[in-house]
Amino acid sequence: MLLDVCNVSKIYGPSCNRCLDLTGSEANRAICPVCNSIVAINSINLTAEHNEILGIVGESGSGKSTLLQLIYQDISASSGTIFFNGLQNDRGTPLNILDLPPSMVSRLKNKEMSMIYQNPRLGLNFLFSAGGNIAERIIGSGERRYEEIRKGSLDYIDRIEMDSSRIDDYPEEFSGGQQQRIQIAKALSSSPKLLLLDEPTTGLDVSVQAKILDLIKELQQEMGFSMIIVSHDLGVINHLTDITVVMKHGTLVEYGLTDQILEDPQHPYTQLLVSSIL
Amino acid sequence: MNSSTFAFLDEDAKKEIRRSLLKAVAIPGYIVPFASREMPVARGWGTGGLQITLSIIVESDTLKVIDQGCDGSVNAVNIRDFITSVTGVESSNETSAATLIQTRHRIPEEKLKDNQILVYQVPYPEVLTTVEPDTAKQKQMHGDGDYSKLWVLLYEDTSQYGDSRISNRYPVLVNKHYVMDPSPIPKYDIPVMNNNSALQLFGAGREKRIYAIPPYTDVRPLKFDDREFKVENFSGIACERCGATDVFFDEVRRGNKSSFFCSDTAFCDAQLEKNNAA
Ligand SMILES: Nc1ncnc2c1ncn2[C@@H]1O[C@H](COP(=O)(O)OP(=O)(O)OP(=O)(O)O)[C@@H](O)[C@H]1O
Ligand SMILES: [Mg+2]
Ligand SMILES: [Zn+2]
Repeated sequence: MLLDVCNVSKIYGPSCNRCLDLTGSEANRAICPVCNSIVAINSINLTAEHNEILGIVGESGSGKSTLLQLIYQDISASSGTIFFNGLQNDRGTPLNILDLPPSMVSRLKNKEMSMIYQNPRLGLNFLFSAGGNIAERIIGSGERRYEEIRKGSLDYIDRIEMDSSRIDDYPEEFSGGQQQRIQIAKALSSSPKLLLLDEPTTGLDVSVQAKILDLIKELQQEMGFSMIIVSHDLGVINHLTDITVVMKHGTLVEYGLTDQILEDPQHPYTQLLVSSIL
Repeated sequence: MNSSTFAFLDEDAKKEIRRSLLKAVAIPGYIVPFASREMPVARGWGTGGLQITLSIIVESDTLKVIDQGCDGSVNAVNIRDFITSVTGVESSNETSAATLIQTRHRIPEEKLKDNQILVYQVPYPEVLTTVEPDTAKQKQMHGDGDYSKLWVLLYEDTSQYGDSRISNRYPVLVNKHYVMDPSPIPKYDIPVMNNNSALQLFGAGREKRIYAIPPYTDVRPLKFDDREFKVENFSGIACERCGATDVFFDEVRRGNKSSFFCSDTAFCDAQLEKNNAA
């Protein structure tokens, strides 16, 4: 198993001991009626295998981005554990990545996991060139030879089907779709085991979206990493993922093979979601 | 001004600065805050270096003050006169005669010994400001030894200009952990910092920061494993005044003709004297 998310919750606000019981899909709310805290993620359990592609769908505010940010540790959890890729201490005890010292967190984020954000400004450093952005991750994973770093950057510029002559240009000089490609190149240049994508194509032209999704799929097949992709678009989920997770009010309401979920949704909320699209 | 106090500063101020100095020496290259006092020279005119000098100077010291290698510049003279007037210590231009040397932007040409202390005046102590404005993140990066953003600058310069474009303040890795700003000394002086017999202290008055390199510490310029660190090239050049070669030169342009002189004026004087004696 690559990723094992156990009982993870994230509460915004003062929080009380009733927050988790009084919110979620059954309670049909995400705000605790006692203390008014927002329960963005409520006791979630989720696993991902090597090479597996998970899709997360759900209405706006259901906690999809929060869940990715917790896994990537852009934010800290209120409770729960996450195990990643057999990471353990010297004595063989599995390490909860939510409790790692900051230096180990950055090592994990520099090498083992990558995130692609909807907004390229979150994923790219706009002060660095396209090649510099890719180089940053290659350097972060330990490489100190210039030629290797340059070769690596060129290689990933090539993989995202961009002309190598643009390697030293800066992010402003690229279109939105190209910026997303550079984010992808940067994210993959450390050969991560897990790629997290938060609506990577929302806001782009439909034709550009399709090309980027195809690129992601190709690279995944070629390099063999696991992915968790958040999307509002069931077409994207259908096209890319093996497993689909449906979220509502911070909880998982349905989990299963993508084909089955789209053909025969069990949860009324999923049924609604699928019928409104198909 | 309280003229009854030796070395201008009151004993509490000196004690506090010495405490910061001890911490700085114990953690080579690590930036330590200190409570910078008002000094009778304008901030930005070496008040950080001055406060260090005043808090460690003793009656038996011999003082030398240089500004860009020159003992005779107005700045150097003012600082030297001030220190000698509040301490009564001897001063000398001769590098080997001095026990305490305060400097701006140069290291003396003559090899320093282990009974000597070199105090640098520092305008910008934080090496990471150019790549990360957020001070909390800077701290985290230092703690993690994560300097990949500085490496990216080096990568970009190498890609676009063939080599680093930094001519002074070249970042150095101290004792294989902290990267620090060596103050605006030329690249020429960077190798001299490594394994130096003298204690090197750095003071930034405006920024209220102190850091240090203990004697015989490993100090390396940030450079790629497969690239040379190139210092200013003065091959074929000799000082017009004393004939010295293999030193750092000041270039004086008259019309379209360039003349070169030793930047270290005390060294130049000594050479001239040697020539005349021979
Ligand atoms: N920093 C924060 N402070 C307070 N509440 C927050 C914060 N970040 C997110 N939330 C709340 O947590 C809940 C989940 O937000 P999240 O961004 O994860 O939703 P989402 O499923 O990604 O929505 P969308 O589809 O609109 O992107 C929302 O109610 C949101 O308002
Ligand atoms: Mg979101
Ligand atoms: Zn509550």
